[in-house]
Amino acid sequence: MNKVYFNNSGRPDTLQRCAPLLLSAVLLLLPLLFPQAVKATHIDQKVSFGSIQQLDVSGLVTDSTGSPLPGVSVSVKDKPLSSTTTDLNGRYSLQVSRGSVLVFSMVGYETHEEVIEDETIVNVILQASTSNIDEVVVVAFGKQKRTDMVGSVTSINPSELKVPSSNLTTSLAGRLAGMIAYQRSGEPGQDNADFFIRGVTTFGYNRNPLILIDNIELSTTDLARLQPDDIQSFSIMKDATATALYGARGANGVILVTTKEGKEGKANVNARVETSVSTPTRNVELADPITYMRLHNEAILTRDPSLPTLYSQDKIDNTVPGSGSLIYPSTDWRKALFKDFAINQRANLSVSGGGSITRYYVSGTFNQDNGVLKVDPRNNFNSNINLKTYSVRSNVNVNLTKSTELALRVSGSFDDYTGPVDGGTSMYRKVMRSNPVLFPAAYPVDADHHFVKHIMFGNYEDGSYLNPYADLMRGYKDYSRSSIVAITELKQDLSFLAPGLAFRGLINTTRHSYFDVSRTYVPFWYQLAGYDRRTGDYNVNIVNPDQGREYLDFVQGPREISSSFYLESALSYNQVFNEKHGLSALLVFIQRQKLEGQATSLQASLPFRNVGLSGRATYSYDNRYFAEFNFGYNGSERFYKQHRFGFFPSAGLAWTVSNEKFWEPLAATISNLRLRGTYGLVGNDAIGDPENRFMYLSEVDMNDSNLRSQFGRNYGYARDGIRVLRYSDQNITWETSKKMNLALEVGLFNKAQLIAEYFTENRSNILQTRAATPASMGLSAQPRANVGKAAGKGVDVEFNYNEAFLNGMWLQGRLNFTYSTSKYLHYEEYDYTDEPWLSRVGYPMDQRWGYIAESLFIDDYEVANSPVQNFGPYLAGDIKYRDLNGDGQITTRDQVPIGYPTTPEIVYGFGFSAGYKGFDVSAFFQGLTRESFWIDPRATAPFNYYLYDGESIFGQPGNLQNQLLKAYADSYWSEDNRDIYALWPRLSTTQIDNNIQTSTWFMRDGAFLRLKQVEVGYSIPTKLAERIRMSSLRIYANGTNLLTWSNFKLWDVEMAGNGLGYPVQKIFNLGLNLSF
Amino acid sequence: MKSNILRFVLIVCLAVNGACSKYLDIIPDNIATIDHAFAMRETAERYLFTCYAYMPLHSSIPNTPGFSAGDEFWFHNDYQPQGWNIARGFQGVVSPYLNYWQGSNGGKDLYEGIRACNVFLENIRNVPDMPDYEKDRWEAEVLFLKAYYHYYLVRMYGPIPIKRENLPVDAPDDIVKVKRDPVDDVFTYIIELLDEAAAGLPEVIPSDISELGRITKPISLAIKAEVLLTWASPLFNGNADYANFKDKDGSALFNQTYNPDLWERALVACNEAVELCESLGYKLYEYNQSSLIHNVSAEIYIQMSIRNSVAERFNNEIIWANTNSTTSTLQAQATPRGLDPSRLDNGGVNGNLAVPIKIAEQFYTRHGVPISEDKEWHYNERFGIRKATANERYYIEDGYTTSALHFDREPRFYACLGFDGGKWYGQNRFNDQDTWTVYAKKGQAASTIVQHAHNATGYWPKKLVNYQNSIETGNTYTKEDYPWPVMRLANLYLMLAEAGNEANGPSETVYKYLDLVRKRSGLPGVVESWAAHSRIPNKPATQNGLREIIHQERLIELALEGQRFWDLRRWKKAEQELNKPITGWDLAQRTAEGYFRQKTLFNQRFNLRDYFWPVSEAELLANKNTVQNPGW
Repeated sequence: MNKVYFNNSGRPDTLQRCAPLLLSAVLLLLPLLFPQAVKATHIDQKVSFGSIQQLDVSGLVTDSTGSPLPGVSVSVKDKPLSSTTTDLNGRYSLQVSRGSVLVFSMVGYETHEEVIEDETIVNVILQASTSNIDEVVVVAFGKQKRTDMVGSVTSINPSELKVPSSNLTTSLAGRLAGMIAYQRSGEPGQDNADFFIRGVTTFGYNRNPLILIDNIELSTTDLARLQPDDIQSFSIMKDATATALYGARGANGVILVTTKEGKEGKANVNARVETSVSTPTRNVELADPITYMRLHNEAILTRDPSLPTLYSQDKIDNTVPGSGSLIYPSTDWRKALFKDFAINQRANLSVSGGGSITRYYVSGTFNQDNGVLKVDPRNNFNSNINLKTYSVRSNVNVNLTKSTELALRVSGSFDDYTGPVDGGTSMYRKVMRSNPVLFPAAYPVDADHHFVKHIMFGNYEDGSYLNPYADLMRGYKDYSRSSIVAITELKQDLSFLAPGLAFRGLINTTRHSYFDVSRTYVPFWYQLAGYDRRTGDYNVNIVNPDQGREYLDFVQGPREISSSFYLESALSYNQVFNEKHGLSALLVFIQRQKLEGQATSLQASLPFRNVGLSGRATYSYDNRYFAEFNFGYNGSERFYKQHRFGFFPSAGLAWTVSNEKFWEPLAATISNLRLRGTYGLVGNDAIGDPENRFMYLSEVDMNDSNLRSQFGRNYGYARDGIRVLRYSDQNITWETSKKMNLALEVGLFNKAQLIAEYFTENRSNILQTRAATPASMGLSAQPRANVGKAAGKGVDVEFNYNEAFLNGMWLQGRLNFTYSTSKYLHYEEYDYTDEPWLSRVGYPMDQRWGYIAESLFIDDYEVANSPVQNFGPYLAGDIKYRDLNGDGQITTRDQVPIGYPTTPEIVYGFGFSAGYKGFDVSAFFQGLTRESFWIDPRATAPFNYYLYDGESIFGQPGNLQNQLLKAYADSYWSEDNRDIYALWPRLSTTQIDNNIQTSTWFMRDGAFLRLKQVEVGYSIPTKLAERIRMSSLRIYANGTNLLTWSNFKLWDVEMAGNGLGYPVQKIFNLGLNLSF
Repeated sequence: MKSNILRFVLIVCLAVNGACSKYLDIIPDNIATIDHAFAMRETAERYLFTCYAYMPLHSSIPNTPGFSAGDEFWFHNDYQPQGWNIARGFQGVVSPYLNYWQGSNGGKDLYEGIRACNVFLENIRNVPDMPDYEKDRWEAEVLFLKAYYHYYLVRMYGPIPIKRENLPVDAPDDIVKVKRDPVDDVFTYIIELLDEAAAGLPEVIPSDISELGRITKPISLAIKAEVLLTWASPLFNGNADYANFKDKDGSALFNQTYNPDLWERALVACNEAVELCESLGYKLYEYNQSSLIHNVSAEIYIQMSIRNSVAERFNNEIIWANTNSTTSTLQAQATPRGLDPSRLDNGGVNGNLAVPIKIAEQFYTRHGVPISEDKEWHYNERFGIRKATANERYYIEDGYTTSALHFDREPRFYACLGFDGGKWYGQNRFNDQDTWTVYAKKGQAASTIVQHAHNATGYWPKKLVNYQNSIETGNTYTKEDYPWPVMRLANLYLMLAEAGNEANGPSETVYKYLDLVRKRSGLPGVVESWAAHSRIPNKPATQNGLREIIHQERLIELALEGQRFWDLRRWKKAEQELNKPITGWDLAQRTAEGYFRQKTLFNQRFNLRDYFWPVSEAELLANKNTVQNPGW
């Protein structure tokens, strides 16, 4: 037991020899260093003779620095209902029976057990947990001790998820071994990170993990809105034994979060307030207006010298950036639309406590995120992004009888948003497509227009140019999102039937809703009609008097609503025989239904249902040998009767070597050594998109307006057509994953803990579209089948280090690393016997194929004497591709796999925290590598018209002109400067299909390392806190995304191909955390 | 067995939880399937319309090869329709433009359309609430559509797989991977289908207001004539260039013996079609003055007859108008921006459909003979300039200096083309003494002012613009949105003349039908014109001479209607015509001397392989039994 109380230092070999000596030395010093501890061991010897059965035990719980620890859970082992928590002074009292075991536990500290013989005062010092070794881990439908685990589960201390952001998912990257995560956008409300567990091993529809919050399946946004303060545990389940119980739904891994529950004791209030400033990590640099005009003219003439140019020499000569001239405008659209930074607020309050019958945890959160958009004072509404998210949570536990507990958990999260009609990302993208020299954002009201009440937005010619300022100011959108989860759970101890038997039942309903409304007017366009160059007088005239509108109109957006029902009942058995044989069993039945209120087709409107039976049996012998068997037997409504149910078994073994007798000599050095291995099957039933889930049925659109025909003198008789959207196939079923996991756990000197895992995965039955149907078949939909196969493998490593120094200083370090790669084993594709390099087989899921770009063509002679490129018109200065198969032309047969996959294969993070007295400091670095991305040559092509997929811009302006990136202006091929390795090919005002092919030309390395978070905090001394009636008070400042190291400079590299969108934000934050 | 036990436990659990064991059976019985389409007349009609929906968009510039992929129209960098890439020699195997085989890059998915037709034909007899005569008619219409889709493909690709019946969706690979059928088989099958269709089609549409545009017997007969004429033409009839074009098993895809009977069959078909049409009252359109406030001069009268033969909806010359391909966009692109100088900024007028100078040269002189043959017309001075006199005031603005090429031309020249100094009747100016003039030199209203709304050559296809269209304020351009005339009587007459000359040499019948067409345009007969004005006076007397005359007459009469593209291929003249440079006037000039200088816009190249387009590489990979067209 003494081992718990101090920390060894020194090299292992000397340590072994000197251990007894050191031990006695420390024991001698101990009274000086830890007076309380000495009390705990010596003074507690008093025996209370008065009570033979029941003892009133009380005491003080402190950390290794001697500070009292409030909120520590003190319970009697195997009697979950008899428990309490320490008060704000770290004191507790509890009535226990003689001989029982008191368990002291708290997140972030090692759990401590104390056998009560006849002591009445038991003081305890809790050690900050060096590892998760004694931690209880939340697993599928239950909990397990970390030391008993066979499956692969990674947990994280929820406090590590506290980042200055209203989005929990942004904190995941690099924090958990086994999770691949990255963030592509910084727009409030749209900034969910992408994350995958152990990478992506499917090319089917759903690659995302199953997200369970208090056992309820919820969406990524629900996870994003979760408050770290409310989280009790956060784990990811990675291998087959950990996920098999989820049967047909667990193949992509599971994220399991539980929220806090109240503990017996007086009300404990915890509050956190933060204010932060956010600013883009990096803005895309644009060329100056003069260069813009020069190159725009060049872009016209270099492709077609007969065309007129847009800008006269007079205009080029007289334009002075920043002059504010209306005659020679130079508009910095970004400056016109965006502020430099935004200020955001977050506040969180929770109260927990309870008596012997009822315990409660209630909390409320309010976050406000603002965008960086400007507001025109002439509008009487605010169109800047203002996202308010609220959430409330109430977890109440009631002991109905001594053996029955009822839990009621209700939580809601609500978003209220006001922002520009098309969203912030769209505003950034629009700025990138507007002309900087043709007109100002708005003309000032002049004498001719003194009666005008609207903003006189600038435009050009027939008003067909994009004025993003007008687009921002023309209205605003409101949306409301809410999500309410209600859970009732009943736990019944059935030990009167058989010791260790318990029943648990859970009913849940979840409601989601979303709606939005936009209110807009139609901008009036004005253009410069004439000017006097000498006097500077000018006049403007209105372009669209017939279309403009001063008053607001409204447009109803999508209204979504969904409801789900979930039922779970479980029977569990847990017993230890002869002190050495641990046995547990679990049988769970689940039933789940989800209904969508916004279905677009009959088939989508039908309920989504799952039903399943799962079980687990574990056996352990003497804390040394462990075995586990799991199964899931699941059914899904998506499949034809014969294929509706699937059986997913898994099994695993573990061996704690360090608990063996022969290990004792090494125990001081390698304090823990454990081997684990599992193998099993898991499934994935989300194989088609929701609109396409009943693959065994055909789907026919009886009213397809694309197949509409009209007849009659005035085309008065028209009917929609009929199209088969899907041909039926009754054989379609879920994809199956065979997973194997091998793990090694090593603990060193009780300070460092290493968990390294190696995993493989083999997916089969991946649904894919059949490739080989010739068009001459005339099918209106391509059939699909479960023919795909893929494999994945990788390593994840987690390393923690804890050191507490005798002077009260403490240091923690941690590192985690995930490597995950995948490959196609079978992919239905064309017959590539002649072109083996085109076959997907053997390559990762997100591998891209493209052409090898050799250079730019230096001149037309080279064009004429090179293999013919089959992508439409091209000239000297366009990209030259390699003719791989030597057939004299560049066709799809010349594509090869290029670069790394677009999902990173390696994600890692490392950081440290240290503290001394009240001060603490921490830093965390995060990086990823083995990822490639492509600069989108269509979205960045200067002067080109470009619309994003599915995008429609208000008014459908005919003149969207991509801005000129400074990097392109600095390096492009021109007739005068034939740089065949320039960044950008020959300019053009229209899209050159030849240059937008996926090729190595625009491929970039996505690897980066960034200083993700730095935090400095100060907690006021306990005595001072007590004086102001608080139990703790901490002030802290932190920053996110402060520094980035990457070879890519055009924009924030983490945004990868999405670089012209709303930038990822750098955040500086000041916070206050107090509890009383 | 294990799963049985599990299922038992599960059912017990379900029972305990109060749910029924059919928890996962959520599909209602009556989900729409393809059978529902033929359960009643209303849905069957929708399926009929589905079959129509695959009809190529005849009036759409980007989607129709005739408009954008040949040499009749030219564009500029700011407006690049899909087909223009083909015209500029960028057709390729990776992602072919106007891919009607796979339905991509502007092409309709014709094989999908053929599959829809077959589904319809398989099921239409099962519809309970329809009388048989109506089933007969609908079936005949779909047979026609199936034939037409095959015809569209064979013209583009040569040998194609015939789809007599649908293959099952789960048919094995070796059945799915079909071969291409020889062109003779394809044409034979098309004619078979058209004959079958004609038997069930009505001669006239029963209800104009709801059914105009549906297929009738005259349409079917006229298209049959066109199909046979195409088959008989040099491209398909014993074309030695494709002697080595064989399937993978060595069977020839092109017949190597010239078959003169095909011309005979084409002539019979043309006669049949003409007879039926004439008996039903179809005749060459002539303008009806009575509907107008202003009396117009004879010159304008003839122009109106020519323009309206195309641009007046359902006039009595039009045999087949495609109501699913109307002309609103086309007319906006054909009208010069700045025709009305006060509406210069009207964004509804694009004016970017340009006609190259070679098309302008193709029209006859006012004597009805080619400009190179007219004894009185100064062919060698055609690129000079000349000042118009009052005599020419209905054609060219009085006193305006314009190209010599614009003087002393036949009425069709002035009816078809707008140009600098040319008069433009209509568009709200119905007094022929005070009509619009196109001013196209630099700085003038119709010159290149707006980047994307200008004309690359200096010629606008006036013929395609209905004279009643009104250019209004703002971006409003109100148009008479006429349906595209796919087949009109003049075309049929010229087909008859061509077939007659090919089958039997010059004859009175041939002259008769040629002269009927010329007469409407105010030109005297062929024999008379040539005798009086041509340097080769007896050209109409020989089969070869007359062939040339018929060809040119066709190119002129059907100019700007997307026919030239197919005719040049059919006659195997594309190598000759499409290897000439595309030229236009020097638009950047302010003076007549400068402006009317011929400027090369593009050196067009046409190789042998361009007669038939490539099958996409993806299709060849998906079906290794399909051979690529020669040269690709």
